[in-house]
Amino acid sequence: MSAAARKSVLVVTRHAQPARSLARAALDTALATAAFEQPVNLLFLGAGVLQLIPHQDSSAVGVRNLRKVIDSMPLYDVEHCYVDTDAAQRHGLTTADLPSGAILVDVAAQRALFDAHHHILGF
Amino acid sequence: MLHTLNCSPEHPALQDCLKLLRAEDALLLLGDGVYLALAQCSNGQALQATGAALYVLEADARAAGVHARLALGFNVVDDAGFVALTERHARQMAWY
Repeated sequence: MSAAARKSVLVVTRHAQPARSLARAALDTALATAAFEQPVNLLFLGAGVLQLIPHQDSSAVGVRNLRKVIDSMPLYDVEHCYVDTDAAQRHGLTTADLPSGAILVDVAAQRALFDAHHHILGF
Repeated sequence: MLHTLNCSPEHPALQDCLKLLRAEDALLLLGDGVYLALAQCSNGQALQATGAALYVLEADARAAGVHARLALGFNVVDDAGFVALTERHARQMAWY
């Protein structure tokens, strides 16, 4: 696909585990976008950062471990995982808790991400 | 850019939206979001303080009974007005 035809996509995920289907839909959308060779980034905003809590064990509830899916994103060409700095701090998440390569972003950087992508998809 | 907000005034999506709303943006309230356009709503006043252009979807405002008690500064738009907003703004973010 030519570079000109590419449209960058920012997937913004703002809901925690109880709204699991939304969190999962955001990840699926990012993966599908990457599969079509469109540049895609993920932004975990507000309560969405709670998806990043490590050592999730969802075997008893019969769904896939969301954190493992998130950790696999770089393998599927989802370029970057951006994480809301304030929300991470509010919920006690340290840099060591975050997926490798995750980038903490303050409000100004979040806004710059909005402005830097062709499309924004909010979940 | 255009933001759409569809949540009650007590929902955390409002705070997420407020942080990223800029004076050059437009915000359309729809669904439960129309309650933010009520006169006397302090959260609605926070929206006004951002300087963004504020709109409320007419059908939803009427359904909620909000249309008769709108705060000054909120512009009522119908579905065609909603479409026109999407044409004027290259980017759109849905908060819900």
